[in-house]
Amino acid sequence: MAELNQEHMTKAQKEYLRKERTREMRQQLVSFGLMIFLTFIAFGLAALEVIPAQFTIPIVIGFAFIQVILQFYYFMHMKDRGHQFAKLFMLTGFYFALAFIVAFIYIVWIGAPVN
Amino acid sequence: MAEMEYNVPTERWPAHPETATQEGKNKFVGFWTFLAGETALFASLFATYLALKDSVPSDDHMLASELFHLPLAFVMTMLLLTSSLTSVYAIYHMRNNNFQKMQLWLGITVLLGAGFLALEIYEFIEYYGYGHTFRSSAFGSAFYFLIGTHGFHVIVGLIWAVLLILRNAKRGLSVYTAAKVNTFALYWHFIDVVWVFIFTIVYLLGVL
Repeated sequence: MAELNQEHMTKAQKEYLRKERTREMRQQLVSFGLMIFLTFIAFGLAALEVIPAQFTIPIVIGFAFIQVILQFYYFMHMKDRGHQFAKLFMLTGFYFALAFIVAFIYIVWIGAPVN
Repeated sequence: MAEMEYNVPTERWPAHPETATQEGKNKFVGFWTFLAGETALFASLFATYLALKDSVPSDDHMLASELFHLPLAFVMTMLLLTSSLTSVYAIYHMRNNNFQKMQLWLGITVLLGAGFLALEIYEFIEYYGYGHTFRSSAFGSAFYFLIGTHGFHVIVGLIWAVLLILRNAKRGLSVYTAAKVNTFALYWHFIDVVWVFIFTIVYLLGVL
């Protein structure tokens, strides 16, 4: 079994791993700070209506996508090696998501009153 | 006991315990596939909501701009976002083979998630009082189905986490249980991803 053949790590390897993990945690904290910041700005823009709605809408949607990318890459470790499969599947998922939304709003009769 | 074989001594604890076994690798790929399917599920609910937003039969029904209040959505967002960070901490301690701290952070994640769920139930009860129900309008159906499906995922996540904490309390951390905890963490982050789109598309664009 693979887990039983696990090699002993040398002291240097352990030290390297520890440093890598500390670095990763720092990245995750920074991305958490960014997420909180973007959430504040997005809620502020919507609540105070400092700029016209047609500008606010693309901005807050853009913020949502940045937050989701941070979540996927740093919190869900998608930036690490061995995530090609995950990326392919999630991209496919998002492709269908976009297709559904466009179809439901612009193409299918749903939502449009039948006269 | 099959599980005993997975108990790796501290000095041989692998760098990525969650994918150290074949089962862990399979879980990892399988769960990402599941999440892609979940994306399609939520996409269809979002699409339905966007298509049916403010579709009410008469003037005495409330529209999105009158219904939603941002402070509540803001607090809910903060709770869920923070719980996402605490599950990151749980994974950090899992990789460092620190069982007690992993359990502690999982517990905090559960508490934050429960707080989120309580606020969501409170929100639903309040809207119900306004006459905005699942059956009152197409807008209501689409709204409750989208937010409710997310809320259901939160409930499942909470039960999952509590079961993990209880079940692992005695058998501790091994490359077998590490894969389970990692799968839960992925699920919990995904719930947060969905919520990011909900608070943006439903609440923020709702009040504009």
